[in-house]
Amino acid sequence: MDISFIGFFLVKGLEISSPIAFSAMGGVFSERGGVVNIALEGIMTVTALTLVWGAITFQSIWVGLLIAVITGMLMGLIHAVVTVTFKVDHVVSGVAINVLAVGLSRFLCQSFFGAETQSKINPYLFPKLLGINSLAFWLIPAAALGWFILYRTVFGLRLRSVGENPEAADTLGVNVTLMRYVGVLISGALCGIASATLFADKWITGMVAGRGFIALAAVIFGRWDPVGAVLASLLFGYADTVRIVFASKIPIPDQFIQMFPYVLAVVVLAGIVGKSRAPAWDGRNYEKGEG
Amino acid sequence: MAQHSRRFSIYVLEQSAPFIGFLASMAVLTLIVMGLGEDPAKAFAGIYKFALSDPAKLAAGLSISIPYYLSGLSIVIAFRAGVFNIGNEGQYFIGGMVGAIAGVYFHLPPVIHIPVVIIFSMLGGALWALIPAVLKAVRGIHEVITTIMFNNIALALVNFLVNGPLSGLQKGTSLEPQMKKILPSAHFGKLNGFFRAIGWNVPDYVYLDYSLIVAIVMGLFVWFLLFRTRQGFEIRAVGTSTDVSRYAGIPVSKVQIGAFMLSGAIAGLIGLQEIFAIRGFYTYNLASGLGFDGIAISLIGKNSPVGIVFSSALFAFLKQAGYGLQLYSKVPNSVTYAIQGIMILFIVTINEILVRAARNLRKKEVG
Repeated sequence: MDISFIGFFLVKGLEISSPIAFSAMGGVFSERGGVVNIALEGIMTVTALTLVWGAITFQSIWVGLLIAVITGMLMGLIHAVVTVTFKVDHVVSGVAINVLAVGLSRFLCQSFFGAETQSKINPYLFPKLLGINSLAFWLIPAAALGWFILYRTVFGLRLRSVGENPEAADTLGVNVTLMRYVGVLISGALCGIASATLFADKWITGMVAGRGFIALAAVIFGRWDPVGAVLASLLFGYADTVRIVFASKIPIPDQFIQMFPYVLAVVVLAGIVGKSRAPAWDGRNYEKGEG
Repeated sequence: MAQHSRRFSIYVLEQSAPFIGFLASMAVLTLIVMGLGEDPAKAFAGIYKFALSDPAKLAAGLSISIPYYLSGLSIVIAFRAGVFNIGNEGQYFIGGMVGAIAGVYFHLPPVIHIPVVIIFSMLGGALWALIPAVLKAVRGIHEVITTIMFNNIALALVNFLVNGPLSGLQKGTSLEPQMKKILPSAHFGKLNGFFRAIGWNVPDYVYLDYSLIVAIVMGLFVWFLLFRTRQGFEIRAVGTSTDVSRYAGIPVSKVQIGAFMLSGAIAGLIGLQEIFAIRGFYTYNLASGLGFDGIAISLIGKNSPVGIVFSSALFAFLKQAGYGLQLYSKVPNSVTYAIQGIMILFIVTINEILVRAARNLRKKEVG
């Protein structure tokens, strides 16, 4: 194994980790505010499509990215309205949005491109850096920024307080509803970015392939911390990279290598419990006077 | 008397969310159809023609609703115990495979073979639910995460087994990867003759097979278990509040593991119709997504074994409606999937609003 191969492996792994990592960061912002968001998968499915559509239509991947981020926030808005305003169970709403996303993305693909399961080829791609999508390198500053926002800004403090103890936060004049909305919208926006690090050249149905769910495991494994979630995502991402890079070189059936990231996720989760604690009010709705 | 009717109207209010949600989503469908430049009357006529216009179409709908019902039932039992079994998709694939193994390799007379494949399907599904159930009960790991992981593991596993050790194909054939054919003694026959004898003209191409009986029996069993036994009471108590149940001395972990595995066992039955009646062999290309549909079906049916009779019929109708739209108008089939998602969101949201309103009305009534 020479240096250039190791370099290729490291960089490729970053690219493969990115969709998981950005959406996991989204999950952190949503859950620190107290809203469980298992719709990450579905939101990415839709934003991956609008990204390609936006890039082709406006002949710029950056416009595509903007449209993906906006779409992600709109999908997040649905989740926020249903869970925060109408106080429906968060997992139920997430499941429904995932169902909606499958149909919506296929329907939009049909309307935009005339085919239900795949889009046209998008020639407008992000610039490459070291042979990979340069957007993947944003991950590092993004994790730092996420950490800074959550722990060093007033907004971050308020968001966390709403996820820990909404009653106390409410008493101190924090707008619980607003904070929770913002947390979910940030997660939607990050899903938009996450999908842009997937494959921007074409949308295919099922292309997100469980990354949004792996991201949920990364949120827990990363202890609901932006940096932790990104590190956990790197673990899953590099496990997947091993699969892709070495699949043809090791005498293990391909299907077992496919299982690897998921088995790893279960083992990791089984191993860390007790050390990882969810925000106290994660997944619970808050009503004035009920606390 | 006045109070009685008032109570009744509160009850109606509480139960009406699925109907309002359905109507609202049909209104959305109408808007989409108009947005696509199609005449809504034509679109709905297409739906009617394909899904409802004659007894054969209704029988086809009933046939489609069988796996939906079993999938919903699997989730009902889990939800009632406060368990989010998102893994019934994986349990369905594994259960079907284990059942098919019994159907291929055991040589038994039909009266024994058919119950055996049913039991093996349930065992397979239950087994696949075991690890997430134990991890939840013992280590407190949320089952939403583990079951999703187990779905992916299951798909890879059946893919490996069907392509490898369990493959029933000669080398070099171009057929889709599959196991050996199910033995005739385990084949699910049809009940069409019976329905024709009682006056429902069910054509031969419709599959109203033994899985219909399985669905009915399991539905009755779950209803009886939930509402007529101590175990069922414990399940419902745990689902309502784990803390209160613990104070009351109910073994919460045991109850949740039990309900989780029963949920998996029922999920193992989802594939019966496709494997043992329609295809006659197992493949990993079984209809995907049936497990996830169960979640929606259970929610819309208010997590009741009776309620999901209607919601699984509704899903079967929506599926037929999609084909009808595709065939008789220029609205694409995919729109019905989007409508399903919208409908679930409408129903759960409206339900929340109505239940709250009903609670407030009750409070007023008490004083």
